[in-house]
Amino acid sequence: MPDLHLLFTRYRMYMFYILALFVLLWGFTPYRTIFAGLILGTATSFINMWLLYKRTLKLSDAVKSGKTAYSIGSFSRFAYAALAALIAIKFPNYFDIAFTLLGLATSYLVMALDSIIMFIFKRKRKGR
Amino acid sequence: MGALAAAIAIGLGALGAGIGNGMIVSKTVEGMARQPETAGLLRTTMFIGVGLVEAIPIMGVVVAFIALFQ
Repeated sequence: MPDLHLLFTRYRMYMFYILALFVLLWGFTPYRTIFAGLILGTATSFINMWLLYKRTLKLSDAVKSGKTAYSIGSFSRFAYAALAALIAIKFPNYFDIAFTLLGLATSYLVMALDSIIMFIFKRKRKGR
Repeated sequence: MGALAAAIAIGLGALGAGIGNGMIVSKTVEGMARQPETAGLLRTTMFIGVGLVEAIPIMGVVVAFIALFQ
């Protein structure tokens, strides 16, 4: 398994590609509320992933130096998701709530798909 | 009733996330303490694990807010 920094760099690249795709689709299709909701959800999901990355590094540094790490930031991630939901509820003409919810799942989909793809590559390499 | 639905959704979601995260982080810290040379691998596994465990509770939070305000 690659180092956390390499892994997060790869995830960040995928998230930027997905966000760029959603922005293009928002600009060039008539489904603006759908893609605005997806952009809002994906951006929030990206922030959550970055926050988790920072807190994981902080925890491992704390364990290494014998200090105490008090949290991994779960409440903050829930709060960001709630903020995205509130924005989508407040402005239903601009953001579709269902697609905001779908956008919030983007980073987890990226993590899961990347893990599956790496697992398949490893099996193929072992098979050779 | 919307408030009750929201409270149940967030409460149970947070309970699941808390139990899951607690188990993941405790095993990770234990592993790092036993074998500091494997800290990198454990850190990566913890990152993926916590991310996947928190996915559904975060959606529960959003559904709770939808139930509360709509």
